[in-house]
Amino acid sequence: MIETVSRKRIEILVDTPLVPRLIKHARDVDISGWSLIHVDAGGGRDGAWQHDDVTGAAAKTIILMIASEAKAAALVDAIAPLLDSYRLLLTVGDVQVVRGERF
Amino acid sequence: MIVETLTSPVILFFVLGVFAALIKSDLAIPEAFAKAMSIYLMAAIGLKGGIEVAESGFTPDLAAAAVAGLGLSFLLPLLAFTLLTRIGKLGQIDAGAVAAHYGSVSVVTFVTAKEILTGQGLSPAGYMVAVLALMETPAIISGLLLARRGQPQRANAESSGLLHEVFANGSVVLLVGSFAIGLIAGKDGFEPVKPLFDTGFRGVLCLFLLDMGLIAARRLVQSKKLNARLVSLAIALPLINGTIGVAIGTFIGLDVASAAALGILAASASYIAVPAAMRMALPEADPGIYLSMSLGITFPFNIILGITLFSQLALMIG
Repeated sequence: MIETVSRKRIEILVDTPLVPRLIKHARDVDISGWSLIHVDAGGGRDGAWQHDDVTGAAAKTIILMIASEAKAAALVDAIAPLLDSYRLLLTVGDVQVVRGERF
Repeated sequence: MIVETLTSPVILFFVLGVFAALIKSDLAIPEAFAKAMSIYLMAAIGLKGGIEVAESGFTPDLAAAAVAGLGLSFLLPLLAFTLLTRIGKLGQIDAGAVAAHYGSVSVVTFVTAKEILTGQGLSPAGYMVAVLALMETPAIISGLLLARRGQPQRANAESSGLLHEVFANGSVVLLVGSFAIGLIAGKDGFEPVKPLFDTGFRGVLCLFLLDMGLIAARRLVQSKKLNARLVSLAIALPLINGTIGVAIGTFIGLDVASAAALGILAASASYIAVPAAMRMALPEADPGIYLSMSLGITFPFNIILGITLFSQLALMIG
């Protein structure tokens, strides 16, 4: 059976224009891999929203990262002060990965 | 003229989009197609503007309109900021972000206005496309200065990211680039591509405005951030700004159609370049306020009524 290793899966829902800033925070704590997931629509305390490619005004993206517990904790510490002002949705969960040395 | 405008297919398709969104119809324009139409319209309007300037040359009117456009874009946010803080009761940061939108311009409003005015024999000068491009960004600087007044300076990295967003914004690059292509190619160079960029223009604009009607009305329906004061200001600001624009255009000696176009540019509010820039530069500002005001109220107001009002005003005082 293939051996798996525990790592943290970090998901951040963010307005698309702010993605480069969060990627920089991730790099600063030595997280070098991420994926961006296009989000079509959603809703929350401020009402519903829909992505449209024409204005891009309400574009949102999910940044997905896998990292060690230490790196994930460092990233959470770095972006915690931005959660309200950037209107981020941040979740961190446990996952099992193969080739754990890569994360 | 008013009936003629309101019954033109361009406006009626926009109204259809608004109606479809309000009755929660599942009507939708595929996103990639809508994006392609916006690229087509910006390229076409830039090309045509460049060709007209290539024909007419750089005139004193062009220089005067450019200076007026720059001045309006820099200064209109000051008035908007004052009204938004005093009447709208917005905080400094939200008021600065909204003010930037009302100093900048809406390309779609301009394209629609140019098409309607041209159909009525009031064709704005080609150089108004250059004025449109010039008016996109100064308001962003004014809005940021107003929002950040008395607060600590931001890091250089953030500023350089913002500058890149402002000046490398896709709509600005395409508009300025196609204007330059039109200027270089001239009328003869345009002939081979004319069937694509000229013949189908009005039909594509109809379909694009159908999509914009859907987007604007859905934004308005989904908004939870607007109150009566902000709704009133989203209508009052284009009326005030547009009147100032027409008056300045007439004062500096522009022809009636170009003065009307300057008024419509001043009345319009950005919902493409500025929201992205504000999200980067002022993440604390609430996008629910500035997007709902500019896209949900001011944009439909200008399309349905503003274009007619400002062209009538230009005819009256011109």
